Amino acid sequence: MSRFHDLSVTDINKTIRDAVVVTLKPTNGALGEFDFTQGQYLTFRRDFDGQELRRSYSICAGKDDGILQVGIKRVDGGAFSTWANEDLAVGDTVQAMPPMGSFHTPLDPGADKQYLGFAGGSGITPVLSILKTTLAREPNSTFTLVYANKAVSTIMFREELEDLKNSYMGRFNVIHILESDAQEIDLFTGLVSQEKCAELFKGWIDIDHVDTAFICGPEPMMLGIAAALREHGLTDAQIKFELFASAQPGRASTKAASGKAASSARETTAVITLDGATQTITTSKDVSVLDAALQNAMDAPFACKAGVCSTCRCRVIEGEVEMASNHALEDYEVEKGYVLSCQSFPVTDKVVVDYDQ
Amino acid sequence: MTEDMSIESYLAAGGILSNPTNVPPRYRAELMKLMATFVDSELAGAAGFADIINAGPGIKERIAAARIVLEKTDNADKVLSIMGDFGADTARYASHHPWTARLDRNAGIATSRSEHDMRLAVFNYPLNGWADAVVMNLLMGRAVAVQMADFSMVSYQPLAEAFRAIAPVESHHADLAEEGLQRLLEGGDKPSIQASVDYWWPRVAASFGSAGSTRADALKAMGLRKSTNAALQTRWLGEAGAVLEGLGLKAG
Repeated sequence: MSRFHDLSVTDINKTIRDAVVVTLKPTNGALGEFDFTQGQYLTFRRDFDGQELRRSYSICAGKDDGILQVGIKRVDGGAFSTWANEDLAVGDTVQAMPPMGSFHTPLDPGADKQYLGFAGGSGITPVLSILKTTLAREPNSTFTLVYANKAVSTIMFREELEDLKNSYMGRFNVIHILESDAQEIDLFTGLVSQEKCAELFKGWIDIDHVDTAFICGPEPMMLGIAAALREHGLTDAQIKFELFASAQPGRASTKAASGKAASSARETTAVITLDGATQTITTSKDVSVLDAALQNAMDAPFACKAGVCSTCRCRVIEGEVEMASNHALEDYEVEKGYVLSCQSFPVTDKVVVDYDQ
Repeated sequence: MTEDMSIESYLAAGGILSNPTNVPPRYRAELMKLMATFVDSELAGAAGFADIINAGPGIKERIAAARIVLEKTDNADKVLSIMGDFGADTARYASHHPWTARLDRNAGIATSRSEHDMRLAVFNYPLNGWADAVVMNLLMGRAVAVQMADFSMVSYQPLAEAFRAIAPVESHHADLAEEGLQRLLEGGDKPSIQASVDYWWPRVAASFGSAGSTRADALKAMGLRKSTNAALQTRWLGEAGAVLEGLGLKAG
């Protein structure tokens, strides 16, 4: 189960017009909990208009920076990122879970490796953490970063990257690819596509000697780069992915108000949606929502049937169910109407549930 | 940068996901089922094998059996911790179920699973003594090796990495079983070992699932499956058949 901790904001620094770097300090003795691995992320929670919203942001600090820092780029219509960019202030307290994520490889001080990183826009945050940590802890390894942005003005951490180039002369190199700003070399303008990568691998990047590649950016860019890397002989075990889709689930609407009150009738009408198809079933209130679906030949997902694993999660759109036990969903999920269907028994005479939400 | 690609089309194009924050609901469910199937099978397999340790004819055999129990439990733990990232109560998961429970040896359950866990049907059959356990471990070990090769490419990177770490361990279990079987055959009693092969062969073969599974396309589109049930089974029939032949036994 997740554990949220309080962290106080000790610094906020605008890296570009619409992105902030927030420095955080765990309070209440939770310092140890936030000992992160390079490339990990923090999940924050905050109430917006009475509804809890969770958002994950990657740590941009290196292991040896001695601080905890995340980068938050403002997304159009994004409640959390807009709040962080406009209203968050030094001295505020925020809540986050301990670092999570597996976007990293083990480091070895004796290693002599060549790393290649690809970052698109705010995808730089975990890659920055990785490259800083790697350069500091593997003195014989090199790191090349291909960094895609719309224009010079949208490059997060531009100066910091320049400083790193100077500090790690000959071991760290950055190739900026800009979508709209023309550059001296034509190759460096446009999108980082599979074809662009193939061009870069001809003279700019020694792809044959790359040990590990990291990719963090929007979906099409990740696909193109991965295809190019595989085409040049890298195996899936050598490519580390991190996708923070622009489509982090949007603000969920509040739980539907129960249309009808509970009644003493023992039967209920269950309207169940799975894989885009909806079935209306008449079932007993003593049968779980999951069993009702299974008894009607719907291939509803489940595993433990004990309320432990959460495989059978679905969302109640209308009506009310009662969960016999719940060891897997958190309060905020339950508030949004999510239930464990194996443990859910209809209370109202009609329930509408959806496995696709 | 075009950012208007849906996660579904990203996955269909071979995209990789790396954390629980943006998995679509149906993907989450199928991923959880896949993980639960593995965890339940490993826990049930380890539990069944634990009971057989003391039936080992010598100390080396008992060490090998104990090691298999330990490592299968550890493999279950690796995948269960990923389920934990999605909210599963990992402590309760391991203890909520009697993993040693088995059906009758002649229960005709084909590929159907029990009501209460996701173990592959083959793990519902009881082992019948040491030699029988070694045969089952060899045939199932080869089957797991085939499946791991496919699962090592699943679109959820933390799980693909776990499977890549697990694959050689499972493969080693099959090797241990092969060595063990070799020794048993040297000691005679070939007919009863062949009887065990005949018993387990169709049951392990069935663990690959039915050829006409309707979910295959959906799983493929999510990047949770690469090969069909039939293709995996064919690979196993060939590989396991060759191992048996090398031991002087007949495939069932």
